[in-house]
Amino acid sequence: MFRFILRRIAIAIPTMLILIIISFVLIKSAPGGPFTSERPLPEQVLANIEAKYGLDKPYHQQLIDYIVGIVTRGDFGPSFRYKDRTVNDVIAQGFPVTLTYGFWSFIVAVSVGVSLGIIAAIFHNSWIDYFAVGISIGAQVLPNFVMAPILVIIFTLWLNWLPGGGWHGGQWQYIIMPVIALSTSYMASIARIMRSSMLEVLNSNFIRTAKAKGLSWRRIIFKHALKPALLPVITYLGPAFVGMITGSVVIDMYFSTGGIGREFVNSALNRDYSVIMGITILFGFLTISFNLLVDILYAWIDPKIRY
Amino acid sequence: MVKMVIGAKKIAEMAENIASKEMGKSHSLWADAFRRFFKNKASVTSLIVLILIVIFAFGAPYISKWNNEEIDWAILGSINELGRPSLANGHYFGTDDLGRDLFVRVAQGTQISLLVGFVGALIAVIVGTLYGAIAGYFGGKIDSFMMRLVDILMSIPYMFVLILLLVVFGRSIFMLFVGLGLISWLDMSRIVRGQTMVLKNKEFIEAAIAGGANHFTIIARHIIPNLLGVVIVYASLLVPGMILAESFISFLGLGVQEPNTSWGALISDGAKTVLHGRLWQLLIPLAFFVAGLFSFFFIGDGLRDALDPKDR
Repeated sequence: MFRFILRRIAIAIPTMLILIIISFVLIKSAPGGPFTSERPLPEQVLANIEAKYGLDKPYHQQLIDYIVGIVTRGDFGPSFRYKDRTVNDVIAQGFPVTLTYGFWSFIVAVSVGVSLGIIAAIFHNSWIDYFAVGISIGAQVLPNFVMAPILVIIFTLWLNWLPGGGWHGGQWQYIIMPVIALSTSYMASIARIMRSSMLEVLNSNFIRTAKAKGLSWRRIIFKHALKPALLPVITYLGPAFVGMITGSVVIDMYFSTGGIGREFVNSALNRDYSVIMGITILFGFLTISFNLLVDILYAWIDPKIRY
Repeated sequence: MVKMVIGAKKIAEMAENIASKEMGKSHSLWADAFRRFFKNKASVTSLIVLILIVIFAFGAPYISKWNNEEIDWAILGSINELGRPSLANGHYFGTDDLGRDLFVRVAQGTQISLLVGFVGALIAVIVGTLYGAIAGYFGGKIDSFMMRLVDILMSIPYMFVLILLLVVFGRSIFMLFVGLGLISWLDMSRIVRGQTMVLKNKEFIEAAIAGGANHFTIIARHIIPNLLGVVIVYASLLVPGMILAESFISFLGLGVQEPNTSWGALISDGAKTVLHGRLWQLLIPLAFFVAGLFSFFFIGDGLRDALDPKDR
């Protein structure tokens, strides 16, 4: 197990490096430097600014400095558009918000999805099963950017129950719609995966044996069937996590929650390269670490996996 | 003489009958798939819906008296009342916030979304099939290197890299195609690789090697044609995936730019005006988006049932 974890980390590190290098190369190949503007700066001024940010060094040196800065000091460098703040400031400001509703979305998607899948499998071919299948098909075409405006129409415009946006320090009424919008399609996918794997497990021989022994339903489901049936769901957690991180950009844009996503889109529109790059790398790091965790969890649960 | 002519005719007819039956048999795999697909009610309905959407996308600009850039100044001040969908003033789907006719805008957006879907999927199919076939066919070190690269690329949050790509090289439809295509071939290459590894140990490949065919002939003439079923099934699911990705990016305002539009861009515009009560600006593009994606998913399902030998 320990060797497996080490080997998995040995893959994660080059992945991270490749992400940094890809973003770095992309940005360096952009036409014009970060300080090119409509009114060209005097050459001496430009040279001074570039020297200040270390942009006069050769590219490979800049790349090494950038990576060393991130690894040793957790420093993503300055914003090229706003002199008074760094990329770290941007992240520190928005990240707690993104983390809050992202965490709840993940919890909701997994817990509701898994429960719905189990219930649908137990009551196979009943109305509750059809209901679960129905929403899991429907939710394929209801991604976050479709859910968000629909929720606003229902809960803000018609029912007037919830505010249509804002954050206000994360009061519950401001969190509900972002969480539903972000989690629905993943909840549905998890329910679908859980249902089909649970059905398969419930039809297998060891469950028949358990039934023959006269075990109670609760014991069969939770003690015997749940663990093997969860495996396909665990493999899906990685993609679901990536999807939610990506979706958080839409949530921040639409609900004005003040998370990191809006900064990302605004810097994309302003070509504030260092902010885009910092956020991309931060999200890449989260994704890669999460995938690492999922793989370890999987290896731990599945006895068949070879280390 | 006459008798002989009749005889010859009859013989020819019989020969043709035999030949056509023979032809039928030799094509039975595809004919079977075709029959199976058209037995599936959901897929056939979806196919009809999709055809209607395509007809709308290309036909609507000819029906409407408005074009996609014209602003209807008469209603501009009071879109909430006069901009509603109505038959009287020719705005069948109402107008957008700038007084442009939504009927034509939706048609234009549909064209672009479909185009993005198909072109993105096509790029992914070409790159993914070649990559996967080469990795699977050669195996060994080449394979493990190529597939490790795919693993690594897969664990990168691609949407951010795509947005980075669009920011760096300018936000144009062309860049969107390239970006989506570059990113979406990964799954395809995995599927194709797996299938190729099964195929390459079959007798007909051995025969081709014994016949002196070189590697690229074998891949191009013997492996890829046999992958077609799997590739078609997966490609049919790639199209809605591409449309979703494009809509996501356009929703953020980073994708298709004015005066062009797409389903995502229209939904984005509509979503902004929801609280002003102009619901049609959101719901009409949304209806097309949902109907289009549903059709693609069900057609993909039908194709999989029809073509995938595993599920039978």
